[in-house]
Amino acid sequence: MVESAPVVELAPVVELVETQASPAVGRLGAVGEWAGTLSLDVARRNGRSIAVRQHHDGALRILRPHYLDESGQVCYVVINPGGAYLGGDRYLIELDVAPGADLLLTTQSATKIYRTPNDRAEQHMRISLGAGSRLELLPDPLIAYREASYGQVTCVDMDPTASLVMAEVVTPGWSPDGGYFRYDEIRLRNEISIGGRLTVLDNLLIRPGSGSPVDGSAFMGACTHLGSLLVVDARVNSTLADDLHALLAPKDDGGRLGVTLLDGPGLALRALSRSTEQLNAMLGAAVDLLRKRWHGQEPLNLRKY
Amino acid sequence: MPAMPAAAPTYLLPLLQLSDSALPTGAFSHSLGLETSLHRGEVRDEATFADWLTQFIRIQLVHSDGLAIRLACEADTPAELFRVDRELHASALPREIREAGVKMGARMLDIALAVAPSPELQCYADAVASGDCAGHPALAYAVAGKSLGVPLAELLASYLFSAATSLTQNAIRGIPLGQNAGQRVLAAAHREVRDAVVRVQTLGREDFGVTAPGLEIAQMQHERQRARMFMS
Repeated sequence: MVESAPVVELAPVVELVETQASPAVGRLGAVGEWAGTLSLDVARRNGRSIAVRQHHDGALRILRPHYLDESGQVCYVVINPGGAYLGGDRYLIELDVAPGADLLLTTQSATKIYRTPNDRAEQHMRISLGAGSRLELLPDPLIAYREASYGQVTCVDMDPTASLVMAEVVTPGWSPDGGYFRYDEIRLRNEISIGGRLTVLDNLLIRPGSGSPVDGSAFMGACTHLGSLLVVDARVNSTLADDLHALLAPKDDGGRLGVTLLDGPGLALRALSRSTEQLNAMLGAAVDLLRKRWHGQEPLNLRKY
Repeated sequence: MPAMPAAAPTYLLPLLQLSDSALPTGAFSHSLGLETSLHRGEVRDEATFADWLTQFIRIQLVHSDGLAIRLACEADTPAELFRVDRELHASALPREIREAGVKMGARMLDIALAVAPSPELQCYADAVASGDCAGHPALAYAVAGKSLGVPLAELLASYLFSAATSLTQNAIRGIPLGQNAGQRVLAAAHREVRDAVVRVQTLGREDFGVTAPGLEIAQMQHERQRARMFMS
């Protein structure tokens, strides 16, 4: 079988699922091959969530935990001291959220992908969510620069009673000529299994200027920035989807907002725009609505420094 | 000595029947996102529809339906086929696209069981009936075609062209477009479908279910469109 262009193939779905069962990193690659790894187990202790095990290696670090409110939700901030992902870099982040624990994971700054001349940069995340646990995965935007190729694979295995909210904003970096959209390829793949059954396979490919009709309406139209939000939670229903749509539609100036119900139950939200700010505002409003409705929490205010 | 008269391959007529765009799978009521583009005025005539169809073939038909057919043909066991079914269903994020796959999949299975019954097809139908599989027209078509011994390239080309024909018939009614204009778009799609057949055979597993944001958003937006001719 002839494989497509990238030199390093992301591991096939079936293999990724199989490796989740074993403690070894397995076929995703030997530990020594990672440019950075981060592993975090979060559990609930005395009413507050906290890391009960954490490990990092290479170019990934994590800041000390903090608590944004009295809910007991712990917030961890991932940092990449190198400041960017380079060609051939492969990063692994593993999260285990124990039953009843509550984790907000974010980043200190945007994830920047620079030129990857020979080999794309990759980030693999493996996430396990126990019964009644919650994960909000709210990274800063991904910025891909000229001639960058990037693959991101996030595999979530969650209990049916767990709650998952994950957001993503993808933006093109500026080229020296002042233009946008010069990266080669971005792949974002999210595999969400509930009780071991694959329920959501979110597989986006953005490949500007490669002969495909990428500027056509089916890809980005006249837009340059992509926002995405996935919510998998037993409380999602059509009323919530309608409420989110009503909240966000006025913020969508280009008419490029889609909200749909997933099996799960869950929902997916996609938006296209010409600015990071607009997408951050839309996704932020959606996250805040969920925080208030389900958890009685105040709007999120990540004090980053 | 006179040459032996050539017979048509035994798979040809069942294949023609199953790939007939008039096959009652309900395809005539699914625009798969096209109606949103009509509503937005992005698709309004022969040229803009031809462009939409090209994008749809290159994105959805290649990476979802087409690759599903190839993976189903490569599946050695029912479990591998069921895995393809699960991934195909899970990769359709817009609710109406998932529902279209389930509805048309059930119809295609019924028809294929009548036209070209086989133990493999019955096994897939049983898995759909029990809820282990979701069902999808591309997979019912692939399993039937595999049992009939249809070469992969012909199986892919006939399915993809049939899907393009159904969408063109919908565009003729929806835009509306003249019948001759529709036939011109389809003739121009021959090359796109041939390219798609090759492309499907070069893709990797990570390409399965790949979609593009604009198409996906159009498919999601259709749920909230007020006046609608189509179910998706």
